[in-house]
Amino acid sequence: MREKAKSLAIALAIALSVLFGMPLLTSGAFIAAAADVAQDNWKTEFEDICSKTQDSMAFTSDELKSLVDRCDALKPRIEKLDETQKKVYLKRLQMCRDLLAFVMQSKLEK
Amino acid sequence: MNKILLLLILFLASVDEARAVSITAPYEYGKVIIANYSERAGLAPVVFNHWVHRARYTCRLCHVDIGFAMSKGATTITAAANKKGLYCGACHNGKRTYNGMTIFASCSEATPRKNAACERCHSLKKNSAQEREFKSFLEKMPKNASGNGIDWEAAESSGRIKPIDVLEGVSIQRPRIKEQKDFVIESKSTGTSAVVFSHKKHAVWNGCEVCHPEIFPIKKGAAKYTMHEIEKGEYCGVCHNKVAFPILDCKRCHTGVKI
Amino acid sequence: MKKVFLVFLLVLACSGLVVAQTGTKKKRPLASDYGNVVMNNYSEKSGMSAVVFSHWLHRARFTCRLCHVDIGFAMKADGTNIKAIDNMNGYYCGTCHNGKRSFKGVEKMFEACSKKLTPEDGKRCDRCHSLGKNVKREYDLAEFTAKFPKERFGNGVNWELAEETGVIKPLDFLDGVSIKRPALTIQKDFSLDAKVEGMPSIIFSHKKHTVWNGCEVCHPEIFIGVKKGATKYSMIEIFDGKFCGVCHGKVAFPNLDCQRCHTKPVS
Repeated sequence: MREKAKSLAIALAIALSVLFGMPLLTSGAFIAAAADVAQDNWKTEFEDICSKTQDSMAFTSDELKSLVDRCDALKPRIEKLDETQKKVYLKRLQMCRDLLAFVMQSKLEK
Repeated sequence: MNKILLLLILFLASVDEARAVSITAPYEYGKVIIANYSERAGLAPVVFNHWVHRARYTCRLCHVDIGFAMSKGATTITAAANKKGLYCGACHNGKRTYNGMTIFASCSEATPRKNAACERCHSLKKNSAQEREFKSFLEKMPKNASGNGIDWEAAESSGRIKPIDVLEGVSIQRPRIKEQKDFVIESKSTGTSAVVFSHKKHAVWNGCEVCHPEIFPIKKGAAKYTMHEIEKGEYCGVCHNKVAFPILDCKRCHTGVKI
Repeated sequence: MKKVFLVFLLVLACSGLVVAQTGTKKKRPLASDYGNVVMNNYSEKSGMSAVVFSHWLHRARFTCRLCHVDIGFAMKADGTNIKAIDNMNGYYCGTCHNGKRSFKGVEKMFEACSKKLTPEDGKRCDRCHSLGKNVKREYDLAEFTAKFPKERFGNGVNWELAEETGVIKPLDFLDGVSIKRPALTIQKDFSLDAKVEGMPSIIFSHKKHTVWNGCEVCHPEIFIGVKKGATKYSMIEIFDGKFCGVCHGKVAFPNLDCQRCHTKPVS
């Protein structure tokens, strides 16, 4: 009887640890994957904002302001990239942001 | 000690290259010796005579359309470029004609090097035939005391020469821009009359691009210069030192005529 | 006394500088050399000749916007700060010059700057690192542009007309580099009056410029004033390589060709 209770307790402990431990074990991998996704996301974000320079004249000044803010938020993420990517994308982001700000300014001054 | 130093600096600053005024023979005036690569090719340098060309073509045609530089040796003409129809080769290609005569080819494939034909240009020897040609040309032209001894301005305005301004296959014509008015340039030294600058007289030969914007900026008064710079071959001196009538001829410009 | 002396020297020096800009006629580059940019941030330091970049060959195939916005090249010599490693990583020159990318008429663009070099590679390096070397160019301007509409000055080519008539079809999009975007809404043309009496006015065409440049090449870096007339500039600045002169000084048709812009006759 005691033997049985002991083995039952051990089995329960293992089961519980697996149940609750799994997330702890995999959360490390989740974090790494999340980081990868975030890395890829900067490019998607960049493309999403900067594809809009072409018809920037059609946006309202509020919409343009939000795009400019998104550029500013993206900048520190690009600064963390490797030297070459950082050099290239900081310039591309700069040109994109400045154009959007320029159009926004022209709308405000109209 | 300091006073002496200051005086010395002032003296040095005012004296530039001490220039001995040399009078060139009328036939030789406007001669340009081009020696970039001739020696390397085993040939004498090229002797280019301005008079024979300016009697037939405007300054603009060569210096704008064809693209010759305006200082000695600056164009860096190669035989290869001539053969391709650039620079001298734009006319000297054995095909283009002037008044029915075919213009001799420069640096052609057909003539081997060190040929008598090369010496038409590549020769420092006295060219008696050309000198005689000059003398007979001079006889027909209105005279001038300096330079080539020819009053080119009068020669053109009287129709005795009709300089060509367009070269087929080379020039791209534009509608004429209305000439700017004449204006007065006051002389800085007392006793010297003011200059009346005529755009019209210059544009006949130069169009706009020979002078603007490189020699003279578009904004009147933007470039500050004196006779000192002109003597050095800048501004008016780019032409009026060695090719157009020389600045020795003060009264050609300092007319003092009121407009 | 020393102060006076120094000030005097300074004034002399400065006056010299003012005169240096004008007064003499500069040599015009050959049509095939017009638009060449010498890049020497690191070449000589690495024991190689400086790079001579030829604009005409590239502009016949690509828009200005593709290189100067999507790829990110600066518009001033040495301004981009390109390193061999950047090229090897597929950026800047390496975006196309990677041994893989092909375009119409050109199979697999030669690779720029590779890590491993064989003795045969010397010739490949020389294609770009050619300053001072007598390198035979792969493409001859006269041959390449034989059927292009001609113009005077610059490359001797009317690039505008060449694009309009379809003689050239410059690429504006590069896979993996350019962002897919909707078509550009073209801004209206407007007139700029010349300040010099008698000089024809200019009709500035946005359309003619955006075909090559999109918006970002010019705005706001070159033309910052949002309101027309906000930025004051004259031909002096333009001839000095600013405003219109950024392009029309050394790459696009040169400022020397007054009547390419000054077209509208004064009434």
